[in-house]
This record gives sequence, C-alpha cells and structure tokens, in this order.
Amino acid sequence: MTRICCGVVGEAETAAPVPVEAKTTSARRRRLEIRQLKLISEVQAPETDRKKRKLNLFPSSREYEDARDKRSVIMENGKSYGAPVGLCSEKSMTVAQVSVDVEKETVKENPKFGMTSVCGRRRDMEDAVAIHPSFCRKGGEMSSDFHFYGIYDGHGCSHVAMKCKDRLHELVREEIETEENNMPWKSAMKRSFSRMDTEVFEWNSSYSSISNCRCELQTPQSDAVGSTAVVAVVTPDKIIVSNCGDSRAVLCRNGVAIPLSSDHKPDRPDELLRIQAAGGRVIYWDGPRVLGVLAMSRAIGDNYLKPYVISEPEVTVTERTEEDECLILASDGLWDVVSNDTACGVARMCLRAQKPPSPPQSPGSEGVVAGTAESSDKACSDASILLTKLALARHSTDNVSVVVVDLRKNL
Amino acid sequence: MSVPPSSAQVMASAMAVGNENRESESFKKFFESWLVEQNQHLNELLTASTQHSNNNSSNQGEENEIRQLVDRVIKHYELYYAVKSSWAKQDVLSMLTPPWRSSLEDAFLWIGGWRPTMAFHLLYSKSGLQLEARLGHAEFYNFDLDLDLADLRPAQLEGIDSLQKDRIREEKEITEKMAKQQETVADSSMVDLSHVVSELMRKRSSEDGGARLEEQEVQLSVESALGPKEEGLEQILQLADDLRLRTLKGVIEILSPIQAVHFLIAAAELHLRFHDWGKRKDARQS
Repeated sequence: MTRICCGVVGEAETAAPVPVEAKTTSARRRRLEIRQLKLISEVQAPETDRKKRKLNLFPSSREYEDARDKRSVIMENGKSYGAPVGLCSEKSMTVAQVSVDVEKETVKENPKFGMTSVCGRRRDMEDAVAIHPSFCRKGGEMSSDFHFYGIYDGHGCSHVAMKCKDRLHELVREEIETEENNMPWKSAMKRSFSRMDTEVFEWNSSYSSISNCRCELQTPQSDAVGSTAVVAVVTPDKIIVSNCGDSRAVLCRNGVAIPLSSDHKPDRPDELLRIQAAGGRVIYWDGPRVLGVLAMSRAIGDNYLKPYVISEPEVTVTERTEEDECLILASDGLWDVVSNDTACGVARMCLRAQKPPSPPQSPGSEGVVAGTAESSDKACSDASILLTKLALARHSTDNVSVVVVDLRKNL
Repeated sequence: MSVPPSSAQVMASAMAVGNENRESESFKKFFESWLVEQNQHLNELLTASTQHSNNNSSNQGEENEIRQLVDRVIKHYELYYAVKSSWAKQDVLSMLTPPWRSSLEDAFLWIGGWRPTMAFHLLYSKSGLQLEARLGHAEFYNFDLDLDLADLRPAQLEGIDSLQKDRIREEKEITEKMAKQQETVADSSMVDLSHVVSELMRKRSSEDGGARLEEQEVQLSVESALGPKEEGLEQILQLADDLRLRTLKGVIEILSPIQAVHFLIAAAELHLRFHDWGKRKDARQS
C-alpha cells in the first residue's frame, strides 16, 4: 500500500564501475523482488547530473541496507520517509534507452509523485493502481519522457481492475509508439481502452484462468465484473486524462481545482440520453443505476450491461502551464467525502510545506541538495497519505486510492 | 482497607475449587475483576497520554515507561485469553453465549467475542477523529509529529492495510469453519437420534411408564452425539480467540508506543462503555 521509493532513471546502468553503487543496485534488486507488486510511492529527484544524482539519492543508504525488510525500517528508522530506495519500474527504463539519453545530455524531467492505496472500511480490496514513469518514448523530435498514472476501481470482483493494472499502460504504449508525430491523443487513448475491454472479455471467456477469484461461484463467466479507469499520461508539455467511470483526475493550478475528467454517472444528462438511445434504462435503486444494477454509466468489463455501459473513455488534453502545481488521481473512496477544492488545498499545502529549494551550491555540498531531494519525494507521499487519512476520517466506506503528481517545474 | 481480589487470584482460587463451582459462575467473577483492572489500566494509559502531550520533546525514560505500560496492558489481554481458553475446555457453551455479557454485547459477538477486523475500524475511527481535531491547525501539515493516531506514517498505514487484508481472510476462514460445524447439527446421526428419542417419548406416553430401561441408554447416545459437536465448537473458539489476540498484538506492533497508548485507550473505552450500556439496557427491561 504505502511505499516510497526513490530512484533515478538509468541509475542501474551508471553503476557498473563504482563499487558502492553496484552494491546499492544489488540491494535494490533484492528489495524489488520482494515488493514488485506493492509499489506505492515513488519520487524521483529532478537531477541532470549523473554523479550528483548518485551521491544525492542515497544519503543514508547504510541505514537502508541494514533494514532487511520494511518493518525493521519502520521500527528502527521511524522518521525515514525515504526508506526503501528502489527503482520502481525496471521494464520501462532499459539500459539502452538510458545510455542514449545520457549521451545526448538531455535534460530529463523525472516525475515526482506519491501514492497510497488502502482497503479502508471495506472487506474487499478492489482498487488497483499502476504507475509507470517513462513508460514509453517517441523517437525523433519527441524524445522526451511520458509518464503513466492509472487508478482502477473494480466492482463485482477485483480481477478486471488487476487486469487493467497489468495491461493498460502496455496497450497505451503500443498505441503511442505506432503513431508518427503530432500525436492524435484522443483516438490513441480510445483505441487503448477498447483493446483493454476486449482483452478483459477474452480473458473472461477462458474461465480456467479465473479460478482464484471470489466471483467465480457467483457468475461462471464473470460477466458482471468491471472496473473504472482513470489514466493520466503526463508529458513535458501536456496532461492527457482518459476516464471511464467514476474515478477522477483533478488538476491543481495556482490554487484552483480544475477537474480533468467528468464522472460517468447514469444520471448525467448526456449519459442518460445515450443509455436510453441504446435501449437501456436508468433505475433508481439506492441511487441511479444502469438497469438498476450499476451505479456508473461507463466501465471496462461489465459485458452483461453492454451496450448501455460502454468502455469508451472521455479524453481531455490539457497544456501544462507554469502555474500547475499538482495532479490528483483518486477513486471515489476519496471523492465521495472530500471535495475537489479541499483535496487541492491539502495537496498544495503538503507540497508547499517542503523545504524551499536551496540556492545553487558549489559541488561538494551534497548534503544540502540531498535534503531537497528527500523532502520533495516526501511531499507527494505526504499529500497522498494525508488525503487518504482524511477520507478515512470522513467515514469513507470504500477502498481509497490516491496518486499525487508534482507538476511544478524546475524546483 | 480491603483490596478486591485480582483477576489472577480469582482464577487461581476458582481453579483450586475445581468443579464444585459452576464454571460459568467462576468465569463471571474472573471477568468482572478483569474489567476492574481494565479500568485501572485505562486510567494509567490516559495519564501517560496527557503526560506525553505536555512534554513537547519526548525523552528516553518516558518512552521506556510507555513501552512498559503497553506491555503490561497486552499481558493483561493475554491473561484473559489464557483463562478463557482453560475454561472453554470445561464449558464451551457458556463461553459462546456468555451470561456475563449483556444482550447488547451478545448481539454483536462473533464466535464468543469481538470481531477481529473491528480492530481496524476502531483504529481508523480514532485516527480520523484525532486528525479532524487538527483541521485548521498547523499540526495538520506537520508530518514529523508522533503525538497520536493522526500521525500514522505511510509505512504504518501500509502495515495496517496488509494486516487488515490478512485478518479479513482468516476471519472468513474461521467463519466458514463455524458454518460447517453448525450444519452438523442436522447430520444424519442427529436426525436419526432425534427421531428415535421422539418415538420413545410417544411410546412412553401411550404405554404409561414403559420403556424405563431404555432411558439411560438414550441419555448415553445423546451425550455421545453431542460430545464431538462441542469439541468442534471449542476448537473453533480457540481459533477465534487466537485471531483476536494476534490482531491486537499485530496492530500494536505497527504503532509507535504513544500511538499504541491511544489505541488501547480507545479499545478499553469502547469495551467498558459498551458493556455498561448493555447492562443498563438489560436492567431496564427486566
């Protein structure tokens, strides 16, 4: 659930000749093996200098090395937020890509984010979160990083949400990489969601693979299972949000909360018309529901409610500005009890609470810079955890998943 | 001044007397003195929490004292379950429908005690109240504090969440075992036996006093049929109590000493007050 990792793209590769770093790398791999599925919070320091990066990011690696498992980190090193140092997305950061990047001396923008996901007051965990920094690259002029953040809130069972977590970013990557320049974001995202929905359907049909699910007994074909999906692809100049269902993405720009997605509720006027035009009905049964069953009008999966419930996302493309502070993605476990404005206010305060960036220092004052790196990674996870705790405090009865992405540039 | 006997003393004397006392009566005495002690612990915990919030900088000595207090309270819970376990071997039925509990408590029991996963709701509720109390204050955004349950850290929340998922699974498994055990009440041997005994009773009423000889035999059959059922219940009760104690300890292990104090305060307050309310309700109705 809650985890903080700090790592730097290409760190694994820069290590080779330096013994200290090699050691760190192997230690990190060990940890990765254990925790592969449990990534929660990752923050990467904005650094361009490889050497500085190395020195900065492992300010107290000795402490971490002693901590064989995470519990001992908590116990012995309670105030160490940056505890496990790990590279969280191995796949997307191949050695080849990194060395190309370094050769070009490209100034890279490494993402800073925090993530929290808890079962909360429910008896089943149906939320899933996927975070993939630098999940794909475009050749040629667009040789910059795209970062992927997705929240999936399952219903009926968790298997569709888990499937989205495993696959959707790969499908989005494939769609992006087949495009030439002038990325047609909307169509690419729509195709990705459509393919995801098809995969879920095909996977359901081969029911041998779902024997571990609790939904198996209730519906042999597990047709009555689905998931929301809110996905943000953050590029150096754009935020592309694709949404299907009632999870939500909110941008905090200069203190103002700007929703980048609109919840798909069956009583949203245009959605109601669409459902009725398709021959479906919205019945009020503990709130508006499609055919009296599903309390959202779009979702991945839910084959039995097609064509009334569709998997087509609504996509917004937002140009990033200097005033952008952060992006919050969350499941309805947060949004049901915390308003967009409150969430933005809280996240903003957390980001501002971090120590101001130190003025440029001469090389050799790594200690100071390290402090900045650590506190910036702490800020996003402070924000995600505080929002989660606030949701629990306000009696959220659902699973709560929150991702906070720092959008401030050149801090 | 006469000191009330401690729960440990009550237990020792009752054990010595053996079967002369009715088991549930003795356990009732133990339970009542245990509640008195829980109330004393509650006062100690409250004192520790106010002292901690008055001292801005916590010192090592104070932290050690708090740790020892938390250990003592946990040992007290261990004692409760150890005694309960030994009594359950003699009288599992009264442990599952404890006459020393109020009917309000009874209505919310899960296999003779509190539902283990309730611990997480207790934690989230108390943590939420303490967090809400900070809204509008600078402490709300201070992430380096360790004052109470509002200060749950990312790694702690992760630990709690994963413990909760484990405990939900275990609780479901035990619930399932209990379901199976309850279904055995209608197995063929029980249905057969109940029919035979009913027939016997009908015969007896028509023949007026006949079939006396068979009575002892019937009694033996009933006991041998019910015996294994009670044993099964006792095993399930042990599993349930074990899960309760492990859940309590698991949560405490994740919390900092002062957070543990706040959690134990919330647990004791809820337990004691819920008991009071139920007793009062029962008294009004009788």
